[in-house]
Amino acid sequence: MEGKEEDVRVGANKFPERQPIGTSAQSDKDYKEPPPAPLFEPGELASWSFWRAGIAEFIATFLFLYITVLTVMGVKRSPNMCASVGIQGIAWAFGGMIFALVYCTAGISGGHINPAVTFGLFLARKLSLTRAVYYIVMQCLGAICGAGVVKGFQPKQYQALGGGANTIAHGYTKGSGLGAEIIGTFVLVYTVFSATDAKRNARDSHVPILAPLPIGFAVFLVHLATIPITGTGINPARSLGAAIIFNKDNAWDDHWVFWVGPFIGAALAALYHVIVIRAIPFKSRS
Amino acid sequence: MSKEVSEEGKTHHGKDYVDPPPAPLLDMGELKSWSFYRALIAEFIATLLFLYVTVATVIGHKKQTGPCDGVGLLGIAWAFGGMIFVLVYCTAGISGGHINPAVTFGLFLARKVSLVRALGYMIAQCLGAICGVGFVKAFMKTPYNTLGGGANTVADGYSKGTALGAEIIGTFVLVYTVFSATDPKRSARDSHIPVLAPLPIGFAVFMVHLATIPITGTGINPARSFGAAVIYNNEKAWDDQWIFWVGPFLGALAAAAYHQYILRASAIKALGSFRSNATN
Repeated sequence: MEGKEEDVRVGANKFPERQPIGTSAQSDKDYKEPPPAPLFEPGELASWSFWRAGIAEFIATFLFLYITVLTVMGVKRSPNMCASVGIQGIAWAFGGMIFALVYCTAGISGGHINPAVTFGLFLARKLSLTRAVYYIVMQCLGAICGAGVVKGFQPKQYQALGGGANTIAHGYTKGSGLGAEIIGTFVLVYTVFSATDAKRNARDSHVPILAPLPIGFAVFLVHLATIPITGTGINPARSLGAAIIFNKDNAWDDHWVFWVGPFIGAALAALYHVIVIRAIPFKSRS
Repeated sequence: MSKEVSEEGKTHHGKDYVDPPPAPLLDMGELKSWSFYRALIAEFIATLLFLYVTVATVIGHKKQTGPCDGVGLLGIAWAFGGMIFVLVYCTAGISGGHINPAVTFGLFLARKVSLVRALGYMIAQCLGAICGVGFVKAFMKTPYNTLGGGANTVADGYSKGTALGAEIIGTFVLVYTVFSATDPKRSARDSHIPVLAPLPIGFAVFMVHLATIPITGTGINPARSFGAAVIYNNEKAWDDQWIFWVGPFLGALAAAAYHQYILRASAIKALGSFRSNATN
């Protein structure tokens, strides 16, 4: 096993097992906490798997925005809600698509599809700064292209019906919208941390069959709760893509909420998981 | 064969699982361990998130202005069941993923958690529930107050006895599913891979909600009912509150008795420990 080259795993954990099984130095745990990812790793840039991972994030986010925003447009242009898939259908589109895409992309890039997830994993030292920035850029570009294709299908209706952009609904303050985005992203990123935890993988006999399912469900559930408030961002790339293609004042006025909220939520989830649940800083350096 | 030699010194009773010994009633040693407090924090955070997402979904649905404008009762049921699935999945390895005083009570009766831990979990769950609903009220104050606050009450046309029965049977379904999903014998049969345990638990919650939302809004979780009642603080919510504690606890008791005494026959096995037949 020592010679086996394991490049990118779920959560972009790049460090393979260094200790061959069976040696006397093996601890009684059958998992090993991966060492923190270096802040800068120039060697990554020379590896095709690095560029491939970014392309995978681009394609995944493109497909995500295409399916979800097109679903939103279908609901908006329907004569009444009963004639469409409805709000619950929109939530399923978001959650179900994340499930499918995380499943497809987990082994290639870690299946983030969300700058907030990338940011949270970066704070937990699961990936380098270069990789984090690259992923976020590719996610935003993919989102813009995805929303662009939807607009290309129906330019007039797209502009007339809000373009699937995130805005804070009437009756809610910006503070409420921000709070909803923070807690919603906390749920998502915390689920990602739980699904990719090394200790959990060991307990599950290293069979990560179902990691994408709770992540998709978390997205679905947060959409059920906060679509009436903000249309549910919890994904800055999704909000940015729709805002750029829609390009109206009201979308940009509230846009800061959909970056500040998710990034705060991701940071809180990273703190909670690393410090409270895994207590990593308090463990002895063995 | 070396395998036969190494196995010679081991009593081979034909099972590849061991039932864990009963948890001690009072285990003060737990209080010195960080994993105990981490479990309490995990239960608190999980119940907070559970109540926030589910009650926000309920209020969002009730706020609808026309037919089909909200997520629908089906969406509300998904919110409850799906959230239990996600949170049990995240918390199972930390605290056992109870998120429900009735589940904690049932597992306590089955001697799977100590009294200290059970009480600690229940308190953390109730506090988390209060905070979760508090967040919903903070974010959507006016609709929260005017649309029933997501509190559990007995609906018009149903008697308190009917509601109590619905809560008992609903909680029986949930706690019985929890026992089945966490049974060491089942774990052995599933090759000790517990990847799927949270999914049937979440689905059990989802399906009970499909059935009993029209009757009581579905409690089957005393912390959920308590949190909403505290924040909403309405007389009718408190009048009916006892149903949402007595019902779930009776249901959990019935599920614990059914699983332990009938399905696993633990009492008979205890008597059988005096027999010489090692393969019992």
